[in-house]
Amino acid sequence: MTTTLAAPRSASQPTPFDRGRGPLTGFGTLLRFMLRRDRIRFPAWTLGLVLLVAYFANALQLVFPTAADLGAFAAFSSNPAAALLMGPGFGGDEPSLDRFLASTYGMYLIIGACLMSILTVVRHTRLEEQSGRAELVRANVVGRHAQLSAALGVTVLMNLTVAVLMGALLTAMEFDPAGSFAFGASVGAAGVAFAGIAATSAQLTAFPRTASGIAGAVLGGGFVVRGLGDMSAAQGGDLGWLAWLTPIGWSQQVAPFDENRWGPMAVSVGCFILFAALAYALSTRRDLGAGLVQARRGSAGAAPWLSSPFALALRLQRASLIGWTASLLAGAFVYGAFTQAMLEGFADAPPELLVLFGGEDDLLTGYVGMMGLLFALVVTIYAILSVQSLRSEEAEGRSEAVLATAVGRPDWMGSWIASSALGVLLLLVTAGVGTGAGAALTTGEGDLFGEALLGHVAHAPAVWATLAVAALLYGGAPRLVPLAWAVFGYAFVVGFFGPLLDAPDWVVSLSPFEHIGEYPADELSSAAMLTLTGIAIVLTGAGLALFRRRDLTAA
Amino acid sequence: MSATTSGAPAPAIRITDLRKRFGSVTALDGLDLTVERGEVHGFLGPNGAGKSTTIRILLGLLRADGGDASLLGGEPWADAVALHRRLAYVPGDVELWPNLTGGQAIDVLSRLRGGVDRARRDELCERFDLDPRKKGRTYSKGNRQKVALIAALASDVEMLLLDEPTAGLDPLMEAVFQACIREAKAAGRTVLLSSHILAQVEVLADRISIIRQGRIVETGSLRDLRHLTRTSVAAIVDRPADAIAAVPGVHELRSEGGQVTFEVDGDAMPAVVRELATLGVTALTATPPTLEQLLLRHYGDDVDDVESSHVEVAR
Repeated sequence: MTTTLAAPRSASQPTPFDRGRGPLTGFGTLLRFMLRRDRIRFPAWTLGLVLLVAYFANALQLVFPTAADLGAFAAFSSNPAAALLMGPGFGGDEPSLDRFLASTYGMYLIIGACLMSILTVVRHTRLEEQSGRAELVRANVVGRHAQLSAALGVTVLMNLTVAVLMGALLTAMEFDPAGSFAFGASVGAAGVAFAGIAATSAQLTAFPRTASGIAGAVLGGGFVVRGLGDMSAAQGGDLGWLAWLTPIGWSQQVAPFDENRWGPMAVSVGCFILFAALAYALSTRRDLGAGLVQARRGSAGAAPWLSSPFALALRLQRASLIGWTASLLAGAFVYGAFTQAMLEGFADAPPELLVLFGGEDDLLTGYVGMMGLLFALVVTIYAILSVQSLRSEEAEGRSEAVLATAVGRPDWMGSWIASSALGVLLLLVTAGVGTGAGAALTTGEGDLFGEALLGHVAHAPAVWATLAVAALLYGGAPRLVPLAWAVFGYAFVVGFFGPLLDAPDWVVSLSPFEHIGEYPADELSSAAMLTLTGIAIVLTGAGLALFRRRDLTAA
Repeated sequence: MSATTSGAPAPAIRITDLRKRFGSVTALDGLDLTVERGEVHGFLGPNGAGKSTTIRILLGLLRADGGDASLLGGEPWADAVALHRRLAYVPGDVELWPNLTGGQAIDVLSRLRGGVDRARRDELCERFDLDPRKKGRTYSKGNRQKVALIAALASDVEMLLLDEPTAGLDPLMEAVFQACIREAKAAGRTVLLSSHILAQVEVLADRISIIRQGRIVETGSLRDLRHLTRTSVAAIVDRPADAIAAVPGVHELRSEGGQVTFEVDGDAMPAVVRELATLGVTALTATPPTLEQLLLRHYGDDVDDVESSHVEVAR
């Protein structure tokens, strides 16, 4: 083989080293590169959030054409249950559509922006390091902090886009401009704060999923802490300051369309600066690709039980199941323990609102029943994520190793889905125990424990049916698995906003979660449970059959 | 294992006219390949020529668009599970479960195939110098490769399908690997060994098939393929080298002072060596050809082109 040597670079040509030596060298290039990589993701997230608010605003205008129709809102804003789930209802004494929008739906937009930030930061930092791509980048003329800075830049840009577009869109829909932009900014501010938090969590561990998990736990913990604070404030208690400890709380204290305070957002930005600085400091103390927490050594051989595809599937989902069990138990207990406070707070709420809990006669059972639906939906998140993990197993080439042994395709996928279905059951029992124990302890009604447990577990067939939709999509074409979130989103909106928005029956009945009944408020329908279980089995079977026929998608 | 053979055994692998497309890219374009039982067969081709696609079809992980493939007398897609009990596979790019240790991964994979020989597994861990207690995500590429190799070699199977199995191994471990393959051959196992480096395959393979752009272009024993191989020779000699230029099969001879370089066809080597001996050689190097040179010479491939046009297939 003959090669000609390239002529030596002439002295007049600039070398790449001339471009800069600072820790931010390459920031601009990386920022543009990340935007290029996110050319679908960026608009999907930002426009998704913005269109969601437009949808809510539009729907509210249709449902409540006049301010008088919003009578329920007054009670809503001062009742602790709403405060726990949705935040402080500012300006409830003077009901208006825009305040209702901000105080009812603001929470979900804020959480959406926070998740957007966490996933974006981790995607461009820790995931890049784990995959080894960051090594390629860092070996180039790129400063030590350029990648983290560019990732934060992209994320802040996403949140700014959300804030500005949301403000502009609501203004265009003839909402008060000052309130519209304050509302948009409050959503973006929480997202910015979580960009900083995720930047720090990405330094702690070598693994992207753990990094997202840590930031997600901060978000979840913040939700609970803020909820307790808001609940206390609604009841005139003295724990209202708890809401001021969390990014969600700061954003909600903006009180859009009411006080339009911009001050709390400064706290969010301060939080961002603090955690971003911490992330920079931590990143200089570790090696590329390493976390601050070192991995431990494990066992030299597999335990004897680890010898079937089902056992392997369970083993691979074990860590996630343990995490979910612990957080669900804690979360459900908090919500269950809130039953008594809710009863008192709702004593004289208007009937329009009580419809959400099945009417005032059964406030207690209505609340416990609604918790069952709430946690069933939370467990559905686990179910869909577990199918997405199966997809990663395949995409990252590990399913190939399993399928190259004497394990058939239906065996492998079936084992995975079965272990997910079992996990669903375990998590529902856990949540039921949490809610039941909390409710029984605070109200003194021991029967509630068993009722809550049954009410939670009874939703299993609906969760399984959703799991089966994800399994069917996986069997057919793995990249379609995210479509299963549509079922989740639909069920969530129908379940929690359907009664308030007076949705037509057929719309409600399309959700798999609306047939079994919210025990103890409703009777349980065993026919629905059997039907949904049957649907789950049929869909999973179809998924298995499809998986048998397609090519394995290898990395 | 002997229970499986009945009468005249079918070849371990028989592939005729195998075709596979991914979208608009043709990965396999009428591939024919026969591997006899008990042989070590080198499956040689540049990156993206279709080696991994062929092996994945043999494993029933991909479904062929056309043609026939039979493996150990069975049909790769329909009989996948039964066949997999009788073979072990090592992919070129080994991915392990981040939370399982290497030892756990070896055990799980062996058990799913039908059992593990504990003593053999421990012996292999030692020979390959693998620490089985580290978590999968902390292994380097070479160590991940060792985990897959040990899981495959510790199994009592009839056949080994190895897709560039030594890509991440250092020379010392490569020697261990070669010893293991020789042992496997001595035990009567069939080995399909894919590689893009001729020298790696040469030392082990009984026969070699060369794949290029989804087709087999040459197949045979090393001796059969001698006509393809041209060795580069450089020598420092005392006397003029004109005699060598006259030997048939010597090409591109250049002589400058006492330094002489030329290329020689495989079958002309004996004559060249005889002539060289008379010239007073004081230094001599002979370099075997690389696969790339070989393909370049015989098929006019610009190897870079081949790689870039097929690289998507490997993704």
